[in-house]
Amino acid sequence: MRPPSPSIPEKEFLFSSLKQSLRLDGRLPLEQRTPQLTFGSDLGYVECGLGKTRVLAQVEARMVKPTPERPFEGIVTIHSEISPMASPEYETLGRASEEEVIITRMLDKVLRRSDVLDKESLCIIAGQRVWHLRLTIHCLADAGNMLDCACLAGIVALKHFRRPDVEVTGEEVTVHPASERAPIPLAMNHTPFCFTFAFFPDLETAPVLDPNQLEQRLSAGLMSVALNAQKELCVVQKFGGVPLAMDEILRLIDVAVERAKELNKLVEGRLQEDWKTRGRNVELI
Amino acid sequence: MASRIEILNDGGFRSDGRRQYELRDLAIDLSQQASADGAATITHGLTQVMVSVFGPREAKMRSQTMHDRANINVEVSVAAFSTGERRKRNRGDKRILELAATIKSTFEPVIQTSLYPRSQIDIFVQVLEQDGGLLQACINGTTLALANAGIPLIDFVCAVTGGVHLTAPMLDLTLIEENDVPHVSVAVLPKTGKVTLVTMETRLHVERFEEIFRLAGQAGKVIHAEFKRALRDRTTTLVGAMGAGPRISAEEEMEY
Amino acid sequence: MRLMFSFAPFRPTNFAAAALPDDDDEMDLDGDDVAVNSITLPGETITSSHAYMRGHGTYVDEEQVIASVAGTIERVNKLVTVRAISTKYNPEVGDLVVGRITEVQPRRWKVDANSRQDAVLLLSSVNLPGGVQRRKLESDELQMRTFFEEGDLLVAEVQAFFADGAMSLHTRSLKYGKLRNGQLVMVPPMLVRRLKSHFTTLPCGVDLILGLNGYIWVSKHVKQNEQEGEEGFDAETIYSNRNDPIDESTRSAISRVANIIRVLAAHFVPLTDTLLLEAYEWTVENDTDAKSLLVEDVGDALVASVART
Repeated sequence: MRPPSPSIPEKEFLFSSLKQSLRLDGRLPLEQRTPQLTFGSDLGYVECGLGKTRVLAQVEARMVKPTPERPFEGIVTIHSEISPMASPEYETLGRASEEEVIITRMLDKVLRRSDVLDKESLCIIAGQRVWHLRLTIHCLADAGNMLDCACLAGIVALKHFRRPDVEVTGEEVTVHPASERAPIPLAMNHTPFCFTFAFFPDLETAPVLDPNQLEQRLSAGLMSVALNAQKELCVVQKFGGVPLAMDEILRLIDVAVERAKELNKLVEGRLQEDWKTRGRNVELI
Repeated sequence: MASRIEILNDGGFRSDGRRQYELRDLAIDLSQQASADGAATITHGLTQVMVSVFGPREAKMRSQTMHDRANINVEVSVAAFSTGERRKRNRGDKRILELAATIKSTFEPVIQTSLYPRSQIDIFVQVLEQDGGLLQACINGTTLALANAGIPLIDFVCAVTGGVHLTAPMLDLTLIEENDVPHVSVAVLPKTGKVTLVTMETRLHVERFEEIFRLAGQAGKVIHAEFKRALRDRTTTLVGAMGAGPRISAEEEMEY
Repeated sequence: MRLMFSFAPFRPTNFAAAALPDDDDEMDLDGDDVAVNSITLPGETITSSHAYMRGHGTYVDEEQVIASVAGTIERVNKLVTVRAISTKYNPEVGDLVVGRITEVQPRRWKVDANSRQDAVLLLSSVNLPGGVQRRKLESDELQMRTFFEEGDLLVAEVQAFFADGAMSLHTRSLKYGKLRNGQLVMVPPMLVRRLKSHFTTLPCGVDLILGLNGYIWVSKHVKQNEQEGEEGFDAETIYSNRNDPIDESTRSAISRVANIIRVLAAHFVPLTDTLLLEAYEWTVENDTDAKSLLVEDVGDALVASVART
């Protein structure tokens, strides 16, 4: 069921305030909601919040036999679940909605196809044993911009996760539990973050970063940019919507570059904080 | 992934003998197809896509009708024989759904849908051969089919793929190049030079991106000239045929 | 002015618009920068929006009138339009159309008439058996399918438009109603021009109904008196689903005419009764049967001989 579209006065109100560079939640047009990262007791369990939007990401690792085509590489799979729990827009029945397809595909592009993980480092014995990483993303609540939130949750979960240390002696594989040997973080090539901009039908209105639900619904097009703090773009996608001048797109990419640096700092900080508390806990045990 | 094929050799030639900025052969066929209101077959080198447009017509599903504009329905199907390895993709394939959603949202602001309230425009895209630049071919084919069906458009949408090999930008990639090189698809509205679609899926530095992005935008204008030529030829032929219509006899003339 | 028309390189199909004295005007206007009758494409600038008004097939952006469809530019006084070369049927009140029932709804039928939306035929806009004009009763509503069923073909006139642009049809004339004894040929609506009469009888015993929506009904000739009959015309015949007996020569004549129409439409030649008659005579002279018409060479020869070059 699609929720009823916003009324005309609601729409007018939003558009006229955006024209004056004011947003309904008091943010600046290019200001992001500060992400809230909550780590669970398990490694690789992260809850990420952008305002009221909440996404849960969890990583688990298992040992499996590699695919015959790629005997030296580990396997990474991403499962995203978008249930009507997040918003009644997402239905469980029938074909996946367009938004759902776009979110799932974008997660796949950002977290898997942009070479975030060094897959060869997940190999234990070539052709016989590799790690299979399974990243599950649950969308808990949608208050706009679920895509950025899901990507952030996914990437932080991968950074937070540590796999058990293994020892190979001949054909024998020994797995050391966390109590014996410190678990090992995943080898990651880079850390991409996703930023979504929303555009409005009136071209005078400046685009906004990190749209909330109402802004997203009334927008006339979205552009998502995924990039890392090293100024490397991983994914750019603007699927239709209002046509934009080339310079405008490049300007927004520059904005995203700045935001990525800030976000990277924030994420690193939060991970370190968490790790410190954990260090104590480990000692306590 | 180091490939055995040299993407760009020292002489500045690519694996299929093209130069860096050279586009592949473009063939456009706008002839009538069965009962479609407009159709186009577009060939970029070895990539071929056939698009049929039906409508605006009565919406099949009442739940999808919109009181103030036409609903656009896009369906993409990829022929099993279109790739080197025969592979059947089912309709629920996420990549195909994404492709269809992309085509739909690209054309939504371009088609003047508000002229046809409660109607539906169906766009059927059939991919016949794939050799890189699939999205580009789908967008270009759809533009032509829509224009051929007489559906009002703000402008043509011209899509071009570009890639960067090391630091050298290249246009209109083949499948081999696409697998090896970061690539960008850009669709522009040639009249204003504005961009309606950009996609990129591989890691690329911001400055490199800017270079190829601008280049692809310019290449869109070349494609546009081809579109115009093809559609003008077709329209001229039809107008000519109508003008050469009936001999107008004297008594018939009296009616007017 | 009449003469000017025949010299024009391209005859506008819409005579309602063409009948307006635009050609005369053209000479009066100085600084005319609208290239009338020239071909334009979507996104091409036609003229400035200060001097002209935008009509169908155009839009205004940044004070320019820009074409949105591929076709020919037309101008009536200050109004600039672009006539799309291929498009759906744009109905006008009074047009004669041939359609097919797609749905039976409460007190109305939905009719596919090759337009952007299905047309509506209200129960109150049809003739009921018995011939007398009377209010439609509940019993009539219950037996709507005995008049028209899904898939039935009919000829009707555009009566009015609904607020959303859908057309309303009526069949309140003995000329209109269910179609029998023949076959349907579909051509681009552009090719059927407004004529004095859209009902034609060819001397070979074939009736033609040229629907302005591009649907053409080719059928066996029915004698005038049989068709109209008496005041209390027969409900059985007007809503009958049974074809009359048709002899073989009529059948082949119907096929031949249908194929002539297909050939002409494939060459994008506008259809008129005189043209069809001429084409039919050509096939008789050259002893061409229905089937061989579809051979490419024969079709080309036919078009070359009847179409003005």
